[in-house]
Amino acid sequence: MSSKQRQFDALVRSLSGDLFRYAYWLCGDQALAHDLVQETFLRAWRALDDLREIAAAKAWLITILRREHARLYERKMPQFADVDDIEVAEERGAQLPEFSGEEGLIRNAMLRLEPKYREPLLMQVLGGFSCEEIARELKITPAAVMTQVFRARQKLKIMLGGGDKGGQLHELP
Amino acid sequence: MNCLEFRRELGANPHSTDAAFLRHRQECAGCAEAFARASGFEITLRRAMDIPAPEQLAESILLAQATREQRQRQFYRRGTVLALAASVVLAFGIGMRARAEPLTVLAVDHLREEAAALTLTKPVAAESVREAFATRGITLTDVPEGVSFVGCCPMGRHLTVHLVMRDNNQPVTVIYVVDQRDGSRTDFQREGWRGRSVPLGGGTLILLAQDSTRFDAVEKLWRTAIGNAAGPARS
Repeated sequence: MSSKQRQFDALVRSLSGDLFRYAYWLCGDQALAHDLVQETFLRAWRALDDLREIAAAKAWLITILRREHARLYERKMPQFADVDDIEVAEERGAQLPEFSGEEGLIRNAMLRLEPKYREPLLMQVLGGFSCEEIARELKITPAAVMTQVFRARQKLKIMLGGGDKGGQLHELP
Repeated sequence: MNCLEFRRELGANPHSTDAAFLRHRQECAGCAEAFARASGFEITLRRAMDIPAPEQLAESILLAQATREQRQRQFYRRGTVLALAASVVLAFGIGMRARAEPLTVLAVDHLREEAAALTLTKPVAAESVREAFATRGITLTDVPEGVSFVGCCPMGRHLTVHLVMRDNNQPVTVIYVVDQRDGSRTDFQREGWRGRSVPLGGGTLILLAQDSTRFDAVEKLWRTAIGNAAGPARS
């Protein structure tokens, strides 16, 4: 096995789970998330020589994944579903074990969160990135990242019924 | 850091390790309580986000990568084979084209390549002419006068004797193609040159000049020399 292949295998085994979770919260669909992660790694394989530091691999893969996700939405026009279908889909989701209990409530709330709030929160909570790193990836200022993750948490708490009544007082400019 | 600043930091970055943030948490009971609540929420949030990845996810990605790599290798291998096949077909086509090129075309090309022969004016000895034909396996019965150049030249895939004859400074190129006898006697024009192709003996006599006024006389000389008769020319 070549050293490139060994490095790739190690990346896939150590980071595919994290990337899948990131992809899932990005698109809200398990099958699509699987495809996105697979395509991300296939692209990463072709560009593996560009990866200078192994420590930067996760951020590098997330950048590829976000591009893949954006491409997906360029290719696929949003489809408008019938109201009845949406209800059925929600009921189906609610019956899954992942969507029951307290964590299930948070998961449903996460999926209802606007992408501009959800994505930086994902990068912070799942990816463990700092505000500066998120800012670089999303091409916004660190202050904007702080505002968005602050609001994301507030919105989640409100959706979960335990809204911080004094939240507005602490909101960032 | 005051309480407002602490709550802002807590909402945006609950795991902050900023010294002022940590100090305020220790000093303010209300904020410490808010921190405890926020930490509980963060743990639940992290657990909620931690959805299980599909089993065999890594294996399926590695399999997809291996499959794609294999396909790509096959594609390149097939591409190489196709390129080789295309080269063979192309080379064969070029060969066929060269083989199929009429003698008249080859003769004009050869004249252009050997244009220097037209500038020679010194008469060549009859013996040299006889030798050149002998080299090609032909015994001349007579050697025409006025030959200023003689050479045994290859012309495409053909063997020839290439001559230039001069009369009043007007050169006539004579090419006797030893190994191919064209079916009919023909006058032609090509690239500013006038020409005549005459089946003669076992081969073909080709005459080329700026004008064709001397062709009949030159043809007659070589019919005598090589020894064969031919019909009237077609224009």
